[in-house]
Amino acid sequence: MKSKAQPKSGFSFADSERVERILSQYPDKKSATLPLLHLAQSQEGYISSSVIDTIADLADCHPSVVMDCVSFYTMLYTKPQGRHTIQVCQTLSCSLNGADSMVDHVRDKYEIEPGGTTADDRFTLMKVECLGSCGTAPVVQVNNDYHEGLSLEEFDQLLESLE
Amino acid sequence: MPFIKIDEKEFEVAKGITVLQAALANGIEIPHYCFHPVLEVVGSCRMCLVQVEGMPKLQASCNTSIGEVALDKKLDGKYDMVVNTQTDAVKQERKNILEFLLLNHPLDCPVCDQAGECYLQDYTFKYGNAHSRFKEEKRVRPSESLGSNIVINQDRCILCSRCVRFTREISGTNELFVQNRGYHSKVSILKDKPLENLMAGNVADICPVGALLNTDYIHKNRFWNLDTIPSVCQDCSAGCNVDVFSQRDEIFRLTPRENHDVNGYFMCDIGRYGFHRFEEIERVNQPLVRNGKSFDVIDWAEAIQKTADLIEQSNGKTAGIVSPFHTNESNFLLGLMINGMLGMLPAIQAEEITYPSGFRISADRSPNQRGMNNICGGLAEDLSSEIKTQAIRGLYILDDGVDRELDDAWKEILAKMDFLIVQSYAMTDLAKLAHIVLPGLAPYEREGTITNDQDRIQWLRPSLSIKAESKPDWEILMLVNNALNKKAENFTGLDDVIIKMGEQFPNYSGITLFKIATQGIALNGKKM
Repeated sequence: MKSKAQPKSGFSFADSERVERILSQYPDKKSATLPLLHLAQSQEGYISSSVIDTIADLADCHPSVVMDCVSFYTMLYTKPQGRHTIQVCQTLSCSLNGADSMVDHVRDKYEIEPGGTTADDRFTLMKVECLGSCGTAPVVQVNNDYHEGLSLEEFDQLLESLE
Repeated sequence: MPFIKIDEKEFEVAKGITVLQAALANGIEIPHYCFHPVLEVVGSCRMCLVQVEGMPKLQASCNTSIGEVALDKKLDGKYDMVVNTQTDAVKQERKNILEFLLLNHPLDCPVCDQAGECYLQDYTFKYGNAHSRFKEEKRVRPSESLGSNIVINQDRCILCSRCVRFTREISGTNELFVQNRGYHSKVSILKDKPLENLMAGNVADICPVGALLNTDYIHKNRFWNLDTIPSVCQDCSAGCNVDVFSQRDEIFRLTPRENHDVNGYFMCDIGRYGFHRFEEIERVNQPLVRNGKSFDVIDWAEAIQKTADLIEQSNGKTAGIVSPFHTNESNFLLGLMINGMLGMLPAIQAEEITYPSGFRISADRSPNQRGMNNICGGLAEDLSSEIKTQAIRGLYILDDGVDRELDDAWKEILAKMDFLIVQSYAMTDLAKLAHIVLPGLAPYEREGTITNDQDRIQWLRPSLSIKAESKPDWEILMLVNNALNKKAENFTGLDDVIIKMGEQFPNYSGITLFKIATQGIALNGKKM
């Protein structure tokens, strides 16, 4: 088998052992697309076109097939993100409990629109659909952690604590 | 074999085929969008829902396959499956599906190029509601260019994904994909990888609605204004079957015509746009005779007599050059007329391209190389040296037309001839050197048979009228032959020539244009 350690494109996986392990789990290499995308995103922070080319190469399919998959999932980012992603739940319970004012707060304080990133790359603000924790609304997901039942003050303190 | 009933029709079907295939094969219409006979079944459009007895919900007929059930389980004691396509539930579901598909559709049929051949239009008319309950503002998205003459009108797209599957399964080039999901889905390309393959034009053909359009045809005409002639592509020797759409003596487009023995459902872009190269050419449509450096116009009788005289005076030292661009009949008649050597100019070759689906663009970019070789028997292998050794003094040439470029070596040989008779439709390099130019017909004006490289004889039918004084090529050759030989046969039509051809070449015996019809005849199925 030809070595895929040094692909043509600008991106390469830091943990090549892990890549091999993922690939070995699937009889059809294309099935490894999603786990590889997650791995790449954890390394790069987003899915660049060179990541897509590299994964297409590894999964033995065309870059358009990988892009098909990337664009389907909202949690795979195609643009560089800030150091912290602030995901404010917009669905019913959170909305009734003040999610909108949280979005407005970030918008006013850091001058970014939902989907945007601060100039210093500190935050990316996102409105997201149900985070599945309606009983503790409002919920904000910062990176991989839930912060539940937040008041506006607590939310502000949380933001201040993030560098 | 499973025995099934669809509506009131009963028939046996092959095991494993789908309900939709069984219905279509037996003349029962089930409306469908995403299903295409050569593409993978995805069952995404839901238009083909039918009621299958014993199943609780309506089933997508495109991915419900038919099997055999045990004897005691047979419905009514004899059927393996009973399908209803006309129940109230099915009719209501079709209405619902169409209402969904039309939610964001701009309903711009009056300015849409697909109008008249659009399944969204047809099915809505036949099965849909007259009104939509959608009162909200419609989503409006810009049209985008995908490359290779293809544009997409996102508002009209119903996301059946036929085009995406085409690039994945048929052309194998994978340019298209569905981007985003749900409400935001759209057919798209990667920024730096546009649709770029020689089969790209087909995605506009297989699009069941007006979403994918060909910029070569867009806004030029309306489907119902065009005359459709079933013919054969003349741009390589694969001989793809095509429909030629024309109006008032102008060709507007070519589309592939289904023929499972030749091209399946598709054609390549070389053939699709090839007809444009005959549009702006310097035509020859009166007989011409050389007068110093220019030509004089003469009438046909004189031209034929002069030609016959020249050939007669050369005393058997006239050679004929046949053409792989001409029909079997023309090449055959040139062979009949020339009592001596026949040859051809160097073949016009390019790269052979085969796609994963087996679709092929032949390396030989002339339409009738095989037929010419079959019909003309012993062609001189090295014509240029044969001309020298046999002291040939004159040539009668069936011109390849605008596709032929003469090299200097050949120009030199031709310049040395006592006379050069060129039968052509355009002022080509060859015609410019001629002593007599006999105006024949251009591609898409010609009629006759051609044989593709799989030995299939096909009927080339004309779409355009004969210009000015030009005559069908076979007729010119017959007239010259009759002038040379008073006993020569007088053919009244192409079928006469084909019968005569069959007498000399048993492979071609028993063939008539009527028998060739639209699907052609495999010659290798016959005895040699």
